[in-house]
Amino acid sequence: MEIDEVIAFLGQHAPFDALSVDVINALARRIEVRYFPREAMIIDAGKENHALGIVRSGAVELRLGGTELNHRLGEGGVFGYPSLLHHERTRNQVIAHEDSLIYQLPKPDFLALLDSHETLRGFFAKDEAERLRLAVEGLRRSETGHGEAAMIGVKLGSLMRRNEVVTAGPGDSISDAAKLMARADVSTLPLTEKGGLVGIITDKDLRRRVLGQDVPLDKPVSRVMTPDPITMSLDDDLLSAMLVMSQHNIHHLPIVNESDEIVGVVSSSDLLNRFGMNALQVVAEIKAAGDAAAVARAARRVDGVLAHLIESGVDADHVARFVSNIGEATHRQLLKLGEEQLGPPPVPYALVVFGSLARQEQAGGSDQDNGFILDDSYDAQTHGAYFERLATFLCDGLNSAGYIYCPGDIMATNDKWRQPLAVWKERYRGWIDNPDPENVLNTTIFFDMRRVAGEEILVDSLREHIFAWSSANRIFLSFIARAAAHTKVPLGFFRNFLLQHDEKEGDVLDLKHQAIAPVVDIARVYALALGLSEVNSEERLKKAAELGEISDEAVSDIVDSFEFIRSVRFRHQSGQIKRGEAPTNNLSPALLSRFEREHLKDAFRVIRDHMDIVSRKYAGNIQ
Amino acid sequence: MKLGWQNWFQEKRFAAHWDRAKEAAQSTPMADYYSAPVQADQLLNDAPLIALDFESDGLEEDAQLLEAGWVAVEGGAVKLNSARRLRIRAESRLQGSAVIIHRITDDAAAEGQSEQDVLLALLADLKGAAILAHAAFIEQSFLNAACLRCFGVPFVGRFICTMQLEERWFPRERTADGLRLGKLRAQYGLPYYRAHDGLTDAMACAELFLVQCARRRTENLLLEDVLMRG
Repeated sequence: MEIDEVIAFLGQHAPFDALSVDVINALARRIEVRYFPREAMIIDAGKENHALGIVRSGAVELRLGGTELNHRLGEGGVFGYPSLLHHERTRNQVIAHEDSLIYQLPKPDFLALLDSHETLRGFFAKDEAERLRLAVEGLRRSETGHGEAAMIGVKLGSLMRRNEVVTAGPGDSISDAAKLMARADVSTLPLTEKGGLVGIITDKDLRRRVLGQDVPLDKPVSRVMTPDPITMSLDDDLLSAMLVMSQHNIHHLPIVNESDEIVGVVSSSDLLNRFGMNALQVVAEIKAAGDAAAVARAARRVDGVLAHLIESGVDADHVARFVSNIGEATHRQLLKLGEEQLGPPPVPYALVVFGSLARQEQAGGSDQDNGFILDDSYDAQTHGAYFERLATFLCDGLNSAGYIYCPGDIMATNDKWRQPLAVWKERYRGWIDNPDPENVLNTTIFFDMRRVAGEEILVDSLREHIFAWSSANRIFLSFIARAAAHTKVPLGFFRNFLLQHDEKEGDVLDLKHQAIAPVVDIARVYALALGLSEVNSEERLKKAAELGEISDEAVSDIVDSFEFIRSVRFRHQSGQIKRGEAPTNNLSPALLSRFEREHLKDAFRVIRDHMDIVSRKYAGNIQ
Repeated sequence: MKLGWQNWFQEKRFAAHWDRAKEAAQSTPMADYYSAPVQADQLLNDAPLIALDFESDGLEEDAQLLEAGWVAVEGGAVKLNSARRLRIRAESRLQGSAVIIHRITDDAAAEGQSEQDVLLALLADLKGAAILAHAAFIEQSFLNAACLRCFGVPFVGRFICTMQLEERWFPRERTADGLRLGKLRAQYGLPYYRAHDGLTDAMACAELFLVQCARRRTENLLLEDVLMRG
């Protein structure tokens, strides 16, 4: 005998739709049906949980423990499994958001089902992380809350394998240090003085800096150590550690306690073993590439990294930073190879990037936006050819690596964006002093600028001028603010959905221009008004809050919305990548789950409200 | 309580019927069913309930029963592990119109068990439980007729009628078919069921009952508060 209606329902909803009819039928017979009127408590936090919940009709709201974050689940949504999986008390409250009919699968039946079906195990492990990712900003910041997922909130402390750290002194001989490392079977030796960490030496240093350069073994190890290495604390999380490693291309991080005493070393392989993640490997491969083709080969793996990170439950902000790190490494390595081929630069210069890479918010399918800032001693006659060839090498290399030529020709190959500092200054000065609406829309990208390689001082000098001019020029600010307020946030998401028409994809939601750009714009207005050196949107907003220009609540609302929108985009892109398609920013609304639609609506409302605030604040007097 | 005397009167009548039927059931297969009376003054949450629906080829007492579907409701939950749907072998040709409504064809009905076997399985589950149905007087009359037919013993039991309960607890102007199970479910936002097999209807009725009890917003309802009256 079959319970037709229940079977039909389960058969239509993930993850049960992957099960055979026989299994679904058996499953249906284990279910208990309960009814919860609106606002009734379905699961209370901190209690034993006895069953997996499945929304048969109605909707429920998950209130994540210790935060203000809510998640809504509609028909077919499943909840209550983290506590079942981990045999712990519930952390989240589940409340009926509407009158709801709930199917409950008792814990023993749920666990038995997982035992025999690997696909279900994958679903519940992933879906859990997915939900947490949505709340990750809140969780990461709240002192008590830490995520239930494997990645997020895992402290470095939990990775430390050795209780006793082997250390040596900076005055010890290289020979003694090497013997100590061999005896203790460590690849990294922290060097301490009076309990404080002063340096670090690794296997690789011994090879490169000692044997490779014939340094006598009786010299003090301080001569070949890396002084004042970057350290992290036991309370830092794994993602931050990976990010630091990929940013600086280092493979070992000494971990120190509150009193700055070394308590251990975490290596990149510890992290890789734990997560099988290849972001670090891709960066390392790019840095080891001997020619542009090898750079391209490695850099093209960024799509795979993105999909993998998303699947591992990494939040959008971190994914964007990893993707950006790979982009940056690609730029640097190409430039390095170019210089090797063409010889050292005749005058100092800097490579700057604009837009999402500058903000470290890069996603899949990005084009390139870059320029050279040349020292004012530059002379077009004598030096012009060199930089033109270098720019061509760089931009061609980037194009082969998947960062396609900029459609707006914002590239160092364009004479216009390969200029001495003085010319750059004039140009920015012109944009700021003589703003007109068209100009403003076309030039905002230049106000998200970051140095990727070359002389820091050139870029710093330019930036200082920009900020001094922009923050003093209210008219310019009002133009920027008005341009920001101009973006159409698709607020009437369900009814009068403002869809962009895309030739290839039909009517779609353009996540980049309709949802992400507004937040970037808001952050940029604050950065220009306050003269902030931050380029990353989230960092800009936080800095603005620190300076009292915007409330902490407002920032955390915007940041959460930003995170959610970007996570939708990354999930969308990860799906495209897995289907073998090129990642885009265009999303058909039909592909959105009800849950995503509801939250996008909330996110758009938050953004729209803040666009109005920015508009009132800065765009006021020239309407 | 306002209806105290009415309840008392009903209890007296129920007890008399029960005792008479129990007497008649001695040394019949129904004796076991009558060994477990259901107390009306117990908490509804503690009371075992069985939501029941018969499919038949007519509504008269002598209608041919085609199928019985039932499922237990305990402590506010419909327990699908108790769900049963048993086909009853047809003794005579089915009447045309009923066939279409219930999607049960002669062939399918012929695969069923004998009415007596189905009744025995049902009675075993009904023992000690109150019976939940939409328009319960129909199930009541079917059960009674079938038990007399098979065992020569009348059926006496505690019935809850979700149709009557709706009228009693939530009276309002309604259209002619406003008390139909499907209408009420739709009104309360319960999912649409294709309906008209015995088990689906029993489940549909059980879920409606959960909604009614939740909307009644009364703590500690007793079984007697929800029993069919009249």
